[in-house]
Amino acid sequence: MDIKTKLKTIIVEELNFEDLTPAEILNDVPLFGDGLGLDSLDAVELVVQIQKHFGVKIKNMEEGRTAFQSVNALAAFIAERLPE
Amino acid sequence: MKAVIRGIGVVGGFGTGISTLEKILMDHGPFIESFAVPDGQPLGGEPYAPVDTRNLKERFSPRSLRRMDHLSRTALLAAALALEDAADPGGNADTGVAVASGYGAVRTTFAFLDTILEAGDAGASPTLFSNSVLNAPAAHISMHLGARGPNLTVSRFEMSFSDALSIAVQWLEEGRAPSVLVGGVDEWCPVLGHCHHRFSKTRDAAAFLSPFCTGLERARIAEGAVFFLLSPEMEPASGYGVVESVESGRLPRDTPTFPKDAVILTGIDSHRDSARPRLPGDHRVVDYTGYYGTLPVGMGFDMAIASVIVRRGRLFSVPDSTGGETVVDGFQTEKAPKIRRACCLNITPSGAYGLITLASRPDFSENSRPQGLMKS
Amino acid sequence: MKAPAPVAVTGMGCICAAGKDFPTCVQTLFSKDPDPKPPSRFTARHPETHPVFEIEASILTHLHSREDLSITAALGVAAARQALEDAGWDPEALSRVRTGVCMGTTVGSTMNDEAFYRTYRSGTLPDLFPVRRFLSSNPAEAVARTFDLSGPCLTLSNACCSGADAIGTAMSWIRGGICDVAIAGGADELSRVTYNGFIALMITDTRPCRPFDRDRNGLNLGEGAAVMILEPETSRRVRKRAPRAFVLGYGSAADGYHLTAPDPDGAGLRRAAGHTLSADGKTLSRIAFVAAHGTGTKDNDAVEARVLDALLPGIPFFSTKGHTGHTLGAAGAIQAVLAAACLNRGTIPGSAGFFTPDPQLPAHPTRHPQKIRGDLALSESLGFGGANAVLLLKRGGDSS
Repeated sequence: MDIKTKLKTIIVEELNFEDLTPAEILNDVPLFGDGLGLDSLDAVELVVQIQKHFGVKIKNMEEGRTAFQSVNALAAFIAERLPE
Repeated sequence: MKAVIRGIGVVGGFGTGISTLEKILMDHGPFIESFAVPDGQPLGGEPYAPVDTRNLKERFSPRSLRRMDHLSRTALLAAALALEDAADPGGNADTGVAVASGYGAVRTTFAFLDTILEAGDAGASPTLFSNSVLNAPAAHISMHLGARGPNLTVSRFEMSFSDALSIAVQWLEEGRAPSVLVGGVDEWCPVLGHCHHRFSKTRDAAAFLSPFCTGLERARIAEGAVFFLLSPEMEPASGYGVVESVESGRLPRDTPTFPKDAVILTGIDSHRDSARPRLPGDHRVVDYTGYYGTLPVGMGFDMAIASVIVRRGRLFSVPDSTGGETVVDGFQTEKAPKIRRACCLNITPSGAYGLITLASRPDFSENSRPQGLMKS
Repeated sequence: MKAPAPVAVTGMGCICAAGKDFPTCVQTLFSKDPDPKPPSRFTARHPETHPVFEIEASILTHLHSREDLSITAALGVAAARQALEDAGWDPEALSRVRTGVCMGTTVGSTMNDEAFYRTYRSGTLPDLFPVRRFLSSNPAEAVARTFDLSGPCLTLSNACCSGADAIGTAMSWIRGGICDVAIAGGADELSRVTYNGFIALMITDTRPCRPFDRDRNGLNLGEGAAVMILEPETSRRVRKRAPRAFVLGYGSAADGYHLTAPDPDGAGLRRAAGHTLSADGKTLSRIAFVAAHGTGTKDNDAVEARVLDALLPGIPFFSTKGHTGHTLGAAGAIQAVLAAACLNRGTIPGSAGFFTPDPQLPAHPTRHPQKIRGDLALSESLGFGGANAVLLLKRGGDSS
């Protein structure tokens, strides 16, 4: 599974979007605010999930703000830091 | 000042809505029996009567419910039903919320520990942690129902419900809130089922997991929530009756005061060994636990049933197998005097007790409860 | 509206990282630099260490002598004992009156024993002792049992507001004549479970916390208990006890906004404070200072600074978290007893951990100890779930 597909599955399953399928999440839609509507609690949950699934650590929310712009941005952030 | 019971919402192993509970009372049953067999209990555990909160989705968007756990969903459904029953679905922004829970969000608490045990300390889920705090149901209720008045959660095992009610009545007396949503919620989880199993095997339950049963061969472990919308007594109003008093104390130092004309509802199926001999001999005592099961906030369900009793002015017979006294039908003939008062009594094995006294209001007829908004 | 009769505080007790008793805690507030350390009673694996404010081990050993009582319950009992002594209530006299107990907690009402659950999960029969201990450690019941009391008994669990709510609820009991004396406060122990939870929420600092500072980066957890003895002013006079303080008002309101984040406009906090102050129009001009919740998280401190600037512009405020850590269910009570001490001393401490004003905030806490003017103080608490509680306290002395 590529990073983006895996990310979307994590968003749907771990953030409990019962009314959404992974395929319905667009790559460039903002994850927070008017886009998918994630909030501060989702952000910290995503930090834990990304560490768990990819071994990539998001150190703080300043770093998180850049990474969490969209699925595209998050996938790029992860790809750059994936442990070998 | 007395508080008027304007609406009731119940969610339990028996179903959803006060009209469902009323029908069970009228039909003399059934007892909750549809036990779910818990999965993954290699160490032994007791079955339980689960609640179904699916119809919460008719009221709130799945998106807004997505992070809410089972306990909070159960509480929110009962609280929403109480507002609907009172024909006050919009609520009031200053409505207070007082919630009782004996054990809190046990499922979520252990699910949170699962994340630590499975993924290490750094894998702890912040979402589960936030939902495991005891006041999460009260927070979700204030968010979803727009009740932004005073907001408190109390927890003292089986004394929790009368504790929460005492706070609600106090708020109304002090004018802190124009109305209060007060209720109780508890849920089942495998660990709880296991503890019950172990305690009941060692006949230890009365001392520790009360009100988990000692007196019955088989417990009717239940989960559920019950909420009331209370307002200060003033005209015009409609509803079930009034809360005349909420007392607490400890035997033998304090003595519960039962009005002469009151029937007494006890949740003592669980530890009647200790409680029964302490009941006054000259009052009619009934036990409806079989209809809703055994859970720490069971006293709230007794108050729901007592509310129906004082509104209708009659008792409902209980089949004998609960161990409670059978109320014969002859007692409810038209000539029988109307029942004006009902006391809900809860005594713990250590002697702590809570006593709630409800009274009818003459102007609240059997049909004064607003109809038509109920969804069953 | 006629102001309700004042409720007198006749005794206070406090135990936390700042000291083993109330006078020591007050002294620390004015003299010592904060010194949180990595937790010593448990280990947790995180990339960085998050310091905490633990109670000294020797103090804890001394007060936690009974195995069947949780540390949380033992802390509550110990603080109650201190406060009763301070109030001049001996057990025998106490048993002749109706005494209520109202305690706030978070850890104390959650059954989350890790060792028990790990064993259970592994398929081995767990020893039920931790469950029994939990069931015998309800904080309010533990106090009522220890002192053989028979009045109302409540354990409140309203996240980080619990301790303030407990004092406010007990104030109402005294006003309403529900009991003759009330033992009210909060207790919480440091737990590995909450430690992991707060780190997961990314709101714990890896350095000593810096409430209201530009560079603040989260809270430090702490532990402790504080208790106030409340009585009707008339009984205090009959007993000829000096008043330690008075509780004049209490407000509680929910944000109804978010499970973990405060309403950015502080709507709930404003309503809670408004309710507290509405008792008397002349109150505002008498407020000497505000003991802020001031945890050191970005969100909490921003909301508080905005609300304080709007409601009480120019009134000095400070956070005690830099000396006590965030003690969760005990926090509101510890803060209240420390605020009472400040009223009586006529000075308030510098807000520990505050060095650089945050240009984003409209108001800033005290940097150094300073003299106060006025005989009233507010103590604010905010908590998970959008909980807000505010207490209005008055200096000991006359009760007008």
